[in-house]
Amino acid sequence: MNVTINEEGAKALVKLEGRLDTTNADQFMKDITPLMNGSHQEIEMDCTDMEYTSSQGLRMFLMLQKSVSARGAKLVLRNMKPHVKEVFDITGFSHIINII
Amino acid sequence: MSVKKRFASRLSLYVLLLAGGVMIFVAAFSMFFAAATVSSESVEKTERILDNTILEIERVITEVERAVDNVDWVVHEHLMDEEFLYDVTRELVKANPNIVASAIAFEPGFYKGRKYFAPFTYTGDLSHELHTIQLGNEHYDYPTLDWYQIPKLLGHPYWSEPYYDDGGAGQRISTYSMPLTDGDGKFFGILTADISLDWLSNHVTSIKPYEHSYAFMIGRSASYIAHPDSTKVLNETIFTSAMEMTDTTALSIGRNMIAGQRGLIRFRNDNEPSFVVFGPVSNGWSLGLVCTTKDVNAYMNALLLILRILLLLGLIVLFFGCRSVIRKQTIPIVEFTNAAMTIAKGNFQATIPEVETKDELLKLRNSLDYMQRSINEYISELKTTTASNERYESELNIARDIQMSMLPQNFPHREDCDLHAMVTPAKEVGGDLYDFIEVGDSLFFLVGDVSGKGVPAALFMAIARAAFRFIGALGLSMADVMSRVNDCLCDGNKNEMFVTIFAGRLDLKTGEMEFCNAGHNPIVIISPEGKASFLRAKPNLAAGLFPGFPYQEERMTLERGSRLVLYTDGVTEAERGDKVQFGEPALLAWAERLNPSATAEGATANLFACVKHFTGDADQNDDITIMNILLK
Repeated sequence: MNVTINEEGAKALVKLEGRLDTTNADQFMKDITPLMNGSHQEIEMDCTDMEYTSSQGLRMFLMLQKSVSARGAKLVLRNMKPHVKEVFDITGFSHIINII
Repeated sequence: MSVKKRFASRLSLYVLLLAGGVMIFVAAFSMFFAAATVSSESVEKTERILDNTILEIERVITEVERAVDNVDWVVHEHLMDEEFLYDVTRELVKANPNIVASAIAFEPGFYKGRKYFAPFTYTGDLSHELHTIQLGNEHYDYPTLDWYQIPKLLGHPYWSEPYYDDGGAGQRISTYSMPLTDGDGKFFGILTADISLDWLSNHVTSIKPYEHSYAFMIGRSASYIAHPDSTKVLNETIFTSAMEMTDTTALSIGRNMIAGQRGLIRFRNDNEPSFVVFGPVSNGWSLGLVCTTKDVNAYMNALLLILRILLLLGLIVLFFGCRSVIRKQTIPIVEFTNAAMTIAKGNFQATIPEVETKDELLKLRNSLDYMQRSINEYISELKTTTASNERYESELNIARDIQMSMLPQNFPHREDCDLHAMVTPAKEVGGDLYDFIEVGDSLFFLVGDVSGKGVPAALFMAIARAAFRFIGALGLSMADVMSRVNDCLCDGNKNEMFVTIFAGRLDLKTGEMEFCNAGHNPIVIISPEGKASFLRAKPNLAAGLFPGFPYQEERMTLERGSRLVLYTDGVTEAERGDKVQFGEPALLAWAERLNPSATAEGATANLFACVKHFTGDADQNDDITIMNILLK
C-alpha cells in the first residue's frame, strides 16, 4: 500500500494505492500517523487505486476517523472501487466514515 | 595426497622452474665459453708440439750438416791418402749416431786410371757394426744417381728425396750430399751422410698429443717420409691419400705443405671431423700433425658432463630443499584447515593452533579465532532465542487448545435440524468464532470475525464469545442481543478492535428466523431445490465500535429442507499464489453444486476442501470459519 500525502494549508490530500492487508497494516499505520496526530482540518483520501482492504485495514480507517473527529476535523474517502466500498458497506463502516 | 603436500610441491616446482631456469641459462653460457676456450687451447697445444718436433728434426739435420761440413777440410787435406779417406767415412758414422752411412764419392778419373773411387762406411741393421767398402763398380754406377747428380749440378749441399738404399745400408734413407770443389772451384766429388728414415719415422709417429692424432712428414715431392702407416712411406704422396678422400680440402693441405707454408686446416679425415697443423722443416720437408675434433671434444665433453651432473645435483638439492622449507612453513595452514574442518563438523570449541610469526599466518589465525568466537556467540544467542520461541510456541499451543475448547463441539443431532461448524485459524490462535445455543425448539447461532489475527484477535474473540454465551441465553430479541453485546465490547476497547457478526435465532418448528447482520459477510441460503442465494440483510455496524449503536433485526421464514451456510471472509477472500481470491461467485457455484442430501458436517468439510483446492500451496492468510445448518 502506497500512501502519498500532499498538504495544502490545513487540508491534506492523500493518495492511496494498492492492497491493504495483514502484511502491510503496520506500515500503513505508521504512514497515516502524521494525519492522526496532525492538525489538518480536512483530510481527503483518494481511493481510486486502492485494490483491497482487510478487516485490520478497516480498523486503521476507524482509528483515523476517531482521532480526526476528536479534534473536530473532517475525513473524506473518495472514488472508492465498488468491491472495496462493499466491504465498508457490509461491515457498517459506511455509517461512520464519509465515503463519497 | 594432502592439501599441504600439493601446495608445497607446487610451490617447490615453481621455485625450481625459476631458479632452475636461471641456473641452466648460466650453465649453458659457461659451457659455451668453456667449449670455445678448450677448442682454441687444443689448437695451441698441437701447434706447440708441432714446433717442438720440427725443432728436434732440425737439430738432427743440423748436426748431420755440421758434421759433414766439419770433415770437408779433412778430405781436402788427405786427398792423396786413400786409407785415411776410408777412415774419414768410418769416423763420421761412428761419431754421429744419426748418421747411418757416409761416402766420399769421387768424379770418375779424379784418380788416374780409376773410373770409380768411393770409400763408404755403413752400419749394420741392429748390431751397429761398421762396414767399410769401396762403393762404386759396374753395377753401382753412382755418378748417375740423384744424390750425386743433383748437388753436382746445383753446386751446393742438397738433401735427397727419401729412397730405399739397396746398394749400401739397405734401409730407407735420405742423403745429405755436399759437393767437393778444389781451390779453383772445380768439382771433384761428393761427400755424403745418410740418415735413417726408419728412425725419423718412428720418432715422428710416436708424437701423439691425443689418442687418435698422428704426425706425418712429407718431402719436397710430396712423398711421405714418415707416416703411421709405414707402407705409405716412399710409396705414396700426400696427394695419393687426398685423392682417396671425399673432402677435397686435403689437396690444399698438400699444396700448402709443399710450398713450405705454416697453417691450420680443418677437414674431414675418413669422414672424421679433424684438423691438421703443419709447418716446414729447414731442409724443405714439411711436418703435419693431424688431430680429430672428437679427441679434443672428449675433454670438453667430460667437462660438460661434470657441469651437467653438478647442475642436476643442484636442481635436486634445490627441489628437496625448497619443498622441505615450504612444507615446514605451511604446517600452520594445514593445522588451520584441520581446525576449520573440525569447527565445520560441529565442534565449535576446537582449539585453533598458535603461530609464532607475526605475518599473514597470524592474521589468518586471528580471523579463524574471531570467526569461532562469533559462531559461538551466535549459537548461544540462537539457543536463547530458540528456547524462548519454544516457550512462546508451547504457550500458544495451550492458548489454541483453550480457544478451541471455547467453541462447542457437541453439535445437535435432531430429526428437524442438522448443524455443524468448524474453525481453522491462520496462526496458532485466531479471531474467528461460532456458537450455538439450543433452548427447546429454538436454536440461537452466530458466526463472528474479529478484526486482525493472532493473539490480540484471540483475546477479543474470547470476550465476544463470553458476551454472547451470557446475553444469547437471555431470550432477548436479536437487536437487543446485538446492542448489549456491542455495548459490552465497546467498554474499555482502546484499540478499536471490533467483531463482525451474523447472529440468528431459528424456530425449528416453524422455520421462522430472526437475524441481525453486524457488518458480516452475507450468508448463503440454499433452497430445498438446491438454488443458492446470498441473504442481503440490512447492514449494521460491526460490534465494538460505537456504544449505543441502534442495531436492527430482520425476520424471514425458511422452507423445510433449506440450508444455511455461514462463513467468515477467510473463505471468500482465500487467496491463491497470484493473489486471486476465491470470491462470492465461486461460493455460490459451490452451493449450487452441493449434494442436497449432504449432512451439515459433510457440507462443511466439502466447502473447506473446495477452498483449500483453490488456494493450493499458498499460505492460509486468514482464519476460516464455516457453519452449516440444515432445516429438515
